[in-house]
Amino acid sequence: MIGWLKGMKYTLNQGTKEKITYQYPEEPIPLPDRFRGIQKFYPEKCIVCNQCVNICPTDCIQLTGKKHPDPKKRGKIIETYDINFEICILCDLCTEVCPTEAIIMTNNFELAEYSRSKLYKNLDDLNNHVTNLREENKA
Amino acid sequence: MDVKGKLLEDSGVQRNVFFTTIEQLKAWSRSRSLWPMTFGLACCAIEMMGTGGAHYDLDRFGSFFRASPRQSDVMIVSGTVTKKMAPVIKRLYEQMPEPKWVIAMGSCATAGGPYVYSYSVVQGVDQVVPVDVYIPGCPPNPAALIHGIRMLQEKIREDGKRGKRVK
Repeated sequence: MIGWLKGMKYTLNQGTKEKITYQYPEEPIPLPDRFRGIQKFYPEKCIVCNQCVNICPTDCIQLTGKKHPDPKKRGKIIETYDINFEICILCDLCTEVCPTEAIIMTNNFELAEYSRSKLYKNLDDLNNHVTNLREENKA
Repeated sequence: MDVKGKLLEDSGVQRNVFFTTIEQLKAWSRSRSLWPMTFGLACCAIEMMGTGGAHYDLDRFGSFFRASPRQSDVMIVSGTVTKKMAPVIKRLYEQMPEPKWVIAMGSCATAGGPYVYSYSVVQGVDQVVPVDVYIPGCPPNPAALIHGIRMLQEKIREDGKRGKRVK
């Protein structure tokens, strides 16, 4: 009987504590600003230096550039930019190495798809989402 | 409108009674009690366990981890599928009763992930068993897994609506 009372005391004390379950689909979960979600890409900032492609540990980034349309300006502009999310491990190395912060991390983690082909994200997919950008390198 | 339809409308039946088909009802009940198999292969399994814990609480969606493939509806392939493990996964999948679904959790189960060029890793679990939902990430956050499970629930309900028969 005493043991049962002790147990009930513990159980009732737990009831007064704050609830810790995140009500995730109804409310967004709190994520730190360091969180690594899908990348956001700014095509106008990219200088086609290929550093992200070279550093990617899984070789999931592919890009092509073309000559600057304005003949007075030097350098290249981006033409296509693809990240294969089948094998991207969201390691943050591409955003760390980028000299112009053309590619940054976001907090968007809802990437599930019904087919593998939809996991290939092209330039428009990476440019279009504008929410939950990382504060420290927001444009 | 025919006489029967008019009669239904006049008596307020269509406004007050919820109509559905038995297939839709079955799909709804299946989607709300998805029992995953307790089965983990690598680091994604740790996130899967975290999803079952108090902070994310997978039980809210009617998903209880079952210890036997014979009692489970969904297999969450959480981790790297090596060539040695692939026959075991196929066998576990075949031991599950119909209807059954598969979630490929993480980059490794989707396509091989960082081990995509390895000699011993299967490049995607869909080469072994049919996959319904792919969740990228290395590993995916528990909330991303919950999002994937909710996408699977949506798919089951859509299949019920479109009259796709599951065995």
